[in-house]
Amino acid sequence: MQPTSSMNKEFLKKWQMGLQIFRPSIDNTSVSERKRAIKLSADVAMASLRKGTTCWSRALIQKTASEDNFLVRQMLSGIKEETLINKKLPKVMCHRKIVRRSKKILMRRKSRSAMEEVAAKAKKLVKRKTQGLRNAVPGGEFMSNNVLLIQETLDYIVSLQTQVNVMRSIVDAAAAGIER
Amino acid sequence: MSNRRSRQSSSTLRISDDQMIDLVSKLRLLLPEIRERRRSDKVSASKVLQETCNYIRKLHREVDNLSDRLSQLLDSVDEDSQEAAVIRSLLM
Repeated sequence: MQPTSSMNKEFLKKWQMGLQIFRPSIDNTSVSERKRAIKLSADVAMASLRKGTTCWSRALIQKTASEDNFLVRQMLSGIKEETLINKKLPKVMCHRKIVRRSKKILMRRKSRSAMEEVAAKAKKLVKRKTQGLRNAVPGGEFMSNNVLLIQETLDYIVSLQTQVNVMRSIVDAAAAGIER
Repeated sequence: MSNRRSRQSSSTLRISDDQMIDLVSKLRLLLPEIRERRRSDKVSASKVLQETCNYIRKLHREVDNLSDRLSQLLDSVDEDSQEAAVIRSLLM
């Protein structure tokens, strides 16, 4: 699973499209505004490669739309809006103190061997790291189970690699062109 | 208060060992650091998850830096110069 050259080409095309939309204003704005335009276009371009089929890409599009609705609408004019929505999971409300107290009581009743302790600690650690991953991947909160989380992560990483590779090539080429 | 603890939602489904092994091996192919280590099956799940997080954040930072560089390149270029034309042709 690696970024393919067709992914690179498609990303570049979409990114260019996004920058074109900014074109009228891009010459007369501040450096930071221009950076924002570049970054937002790149993110929508990356997400649009998945055509609404992954959770992370839908979440990223939603996030970008909240910053620049016009840009997203223009770049994604071909895609139906319903396909881009992540369904919110029902929240299970747990009173933290009660849960913690009941867990303590349960633990007191069990006498655990040293090995059980180690296994329990390892499980806790994995749980914490998994939550960290949920925070790093867009739309992590919508991924209902850990298998889905890791599948989405794999796809997200490949897409990010595409984004970085193409952007780096463009920036290096532009820098070389200027220095000549 | 109703007993909510008895409800098992899919969000608490734990990964089965086989699924984890399969996905972890795929992650390892993507992560630069882990790929370089000796091929042993004993890389812990938490380590892989941590490395994955780190890698994702690193990629985020790279995108940010590249956006910075590009916007400054565009800034440093004279409107009507040849360099501007080069960049325009690359990007727009």
